Amino acid sequence: MTEVSIPIEQLRQQQPRYQGISPGHRACLGCGQALAARLVTEASGPDIMIANATGCLEIFTTPWPESAWKVPWMHSLFENTGAIASGIEAALKAQGKSSKVIAMGGDGGTFDIGFQALSGMLERDHNILYICYDNEAYMNTGVQRSGSTPHAAMTNTSPPGKARMGKRHLKKDIISIIASHHIPYAATASVAYPSDIRKKVRRAMHIEGPTFLQIHAPCPLGWGHDGSQSIAIARLAVETGLFPVIELERGALANVMPIRNIQPVTAYLKAQQRFRHLFKKADQRVKEELAHLQALADHNIEVYGLQSDHTDKLDTRGAALVHRRGKHWA
Amino acid sequence: MPILTRGAFAQADTAKMYKTGSWRIQKPYHQHFSAPCHNACLAGEDAQAWLAYFSEGHIQKAWETLVSVNPLPGVSGRVCHHPCETACNRGQYDEALAIHHIERYLGEQAIQHGWNYPLLSQTRHVEKIAIIGAGPAGLSAAYHLKQRGYKVDIFDNLPVAGGLLQIALPPYRLPRNALQAEIERILALGIDFQAQKQLGRDFSLEELHPQYAAIFLAIGRQNSREWQVDGVIPHHLQNGLDMLKEWIALGKLDIPDRLAVIGGGNTAIDLARILRRAGAKEVHLITHQAHPDSSENDMMNAIPREIIQAEEEGVQLHTQRGIQRLLLRGEQVIGVEMTRMQTMQHADGRSERVSFRGTETVLHVDQVVPAIGQQLDLKALEHLSTTVEGMPVTVHGQTDQPHIFAGGDMCLRSSGTVSGAIGDGYRAAIAIHHTLQNTPLPHPTQTTTITVEQLNLHYYESSPRLHTATLTVEERCKNDASAEVETGFNDEQAKKEATRCLSCGNCMACDNCWTFCPDSAILKTQENASNSSHYVFDYDYCKGCGLCKTECPCGFIIMQDEA
Repeated sequence: MTEVSIPIEQLRQQQPRYQGISPGHRACLGCGQALAARLVTEASGPDIMIANATGCLEIFTTPWPESAWKVPWMHSLFENTGAIASGIEAALKAQGKSSKVIAMGGDGGTFDIGFQALSGMLERDHNILYICYDNEAYMNTGVQRSGSTPHAAMTNTSPPGKARMGKRHLKKDIISIIASHHIPYAATASVAYPSDIRKKVRRAMHIEGPTFLQIHAPCPLGWGHDGSQSIAIARLAVETGLFPVIELERGALANVMPIRNIQPVTAYLKAQQRFRHLFKKADQRVKEELAHLQALADHNIEVYGLQSDHTDKLDTRGAALVHRRGKHWA
Repeated sequence: MPILTRGAFAQADTAKMYKTGSWRIQKPYHQHFSAPCHNACLAGEDAQAWLAYFSEGHIQKAWETLVSVNPLPGVSGRVCHHPCETACNRGQYDEALAIHHIERYLGEQAIQHGWNYPLLSQTRHVEKIAIIGAGPAGLSAAYHLKQRGYKVDIFDNLPVAGGLLQIALPPYRLPRNALQAEIERILALGIDFQAQKQLGRDFSLEELHPQYAAIFLAIGRQNSREWQVDGVIPHHLQNGLDMLKEWIALGKLDIPDRLAVIGGGNTAIDLARILRRAGAKEVHLITHQAHPDSSENDMMNAIPREIIQAEEEGVQLHTQRGIQRLLLRGEQVIGVEMTRMQTMQHADGRSERVSFRGTETVLHVDQVVPAIGQQLDLKALEHLSTTVEGMPVTVHGQTDQPHIFAGGDMCLRSSGTVSGAIGDGYRAAIAIHHTLQNTPLPHPTQTTTITVEQLNLHYYESSPRLHTATLTVEERCKNDASAEVETGFNDEQAKKEATRCLSCGNCMACDNCWTFCPDSAILKTQENASNSSHYVFDYDYCKGCGLCKTECPCGFIIMQDEA
């Protein structure tokens, strides 16, 4: 068993990478969002101010009277994160201070409730990085469907039954909507690729103006998988084409993470309880739904050109490779 | 802790007061498993361990780790049949690592740079040890005992040290300068080599005993197994091993045009290949055993690579064939009658070689040379219980006499390989040391081998095994018959190939666990961890989600139920 010769708290102080969130937070086991938020702060560094929409992240990092944050942080309402962040940014500007403002919200706070405030923030050209942690439902309140919930997923408000196979509607294409604001930089990322997240955050930090990053973050509780599988499932979402990892500059597609070995959508769906109704019996409805989901993935691969031609070293496989002594992390 | 107004604010970084470790029902911990290359190695090497140093650029440290077990890497890197590579988990992913080539490269680097063996112990002991036989087993035992502080004398009936490596391994497989350099480096540790001293002729075991606290016997097998076909023994029958030795010593052989070698082991293959080099027009190799390409169980014992090279050189293989009759003109062999044979498994597990009537064929040859193995010469071993088929010993090389140990080809449990002999010497040296110091023998436990399923292969790039050039058949047989057939890796190739190691069962410090832990409950600590890992778990905060276990590429983390 491992033993250390110095107190563990001292060792924690000596870690070679800055982290803006410390342990003790109350996230569930294997939480994708807790990981994603920590990775964001690793790349942003301590000189930031955060406006955090209502949601899991806000709840589990600040169990009153404690806080897991090491950076200035403010809780905003569900609907006004973009507005609060805009206000902080304007106040800092008035004081001649240069700390970067980061707004954070879940998919509910971003796609649905806080959307108009976000749109306004982008339109007014504030110097803010908006991060959306996308776990595809209102998880904090007990798994209700959101505009981000994928088609056919089961939530408490989209139960499968005789009439429907889970969510009837499609996942909102938020990145295209954001990109239509012609902001300098908008991107998607996945917790399965930490270096990619950190690179994108660093890039956004250096841009003067509104930027947006959507991070796909599995929720073991809401998706119905073991916490130990969060990364494996996040990776499958990318490798199937269901969650394209892309970058847009001024609304135009600038870069994608190509998929080396495209996986069938069933590999991703089977691993999650929220899609279990698609595997109970193979009737016509099920076949159609599975074909539909496969078509959605194929469509993403086609429109974004996700099929790897093996020229990009950082495709879905290359970006995951490990090397001795960690000589590969960005 | 200041008194806070409800809902107003919280002090930064205070959630740490709450220890989320109390949620945990399963706990991750680091578990070192043996890589399959380690457990498969007959010499006892942990290839994964020295490959780790190698791929980090610590070439000399890699060599030192290697020679702390096997002092003859330049030899074994060339002649071993490398079961490590057969076992390599990478073989189930793309292609097994070329471990033997990297071992050979390290051996060559050490000679080129004149590296000295690392000092393994400062202790000096008064006891003297006698080693009889300066083959790979004897040299290995001498090295390990000397390194543990004993005075060591080696006796051998040959004028030079090396045993079979010196007199029976063709130089095209093992160049003599490579062999000589490693032997000399061992003897230069201060080992007294007493040449041309034969057990039974110049001294007896009883005479040695008062002077020496322990004796390690590694005399090999001196007598050829008797060979006959239905009671008929050809006139002027020559033994395969003797012909091999003669060619190696003299560089030529007086042989007819067409010969048949009987046997399917390495000696038979070596002999067939030197017969081609010595000018034989037709060389046939007849064996009961099956070709390695077949799916039969009873396969030839020779190294597959050597079999392929023999075929390239024109040796004609007749596998699964038995000799039924010798065709004689007077007393002169003019051919053999062969039948097809197969090893059949009986329901009770017994196996039997069956020959099939009606499959007889005649092969015209001028000489038949058996190379079917050797037997133990029992002279001078009267006081030890043994038979001609080999001396029974324990895994530590213990015989029925407490001060006598044995290893190498002479033992019943011998694998008949060079690396097996090197390993025997190593294990016996450890046993002698513990016996003399009256300490308990280490239990021969092996750590559990890690399987490919325990690795996360997603994190490794698929890349083909690197191959080296071999001489063309013309260069091998026409020009210099002693020229080494296989070339070794250059610096770049060796480094590239070493990075293909999957680091099975051992931390490679890739940072995956540290990066992926959602609770920051893994801390990076290179200097402070005591278990070869580069990370520690902070169990105050670890919730036991198991993400680190799933995403560890090397299978170095396992989950255990909380008590």
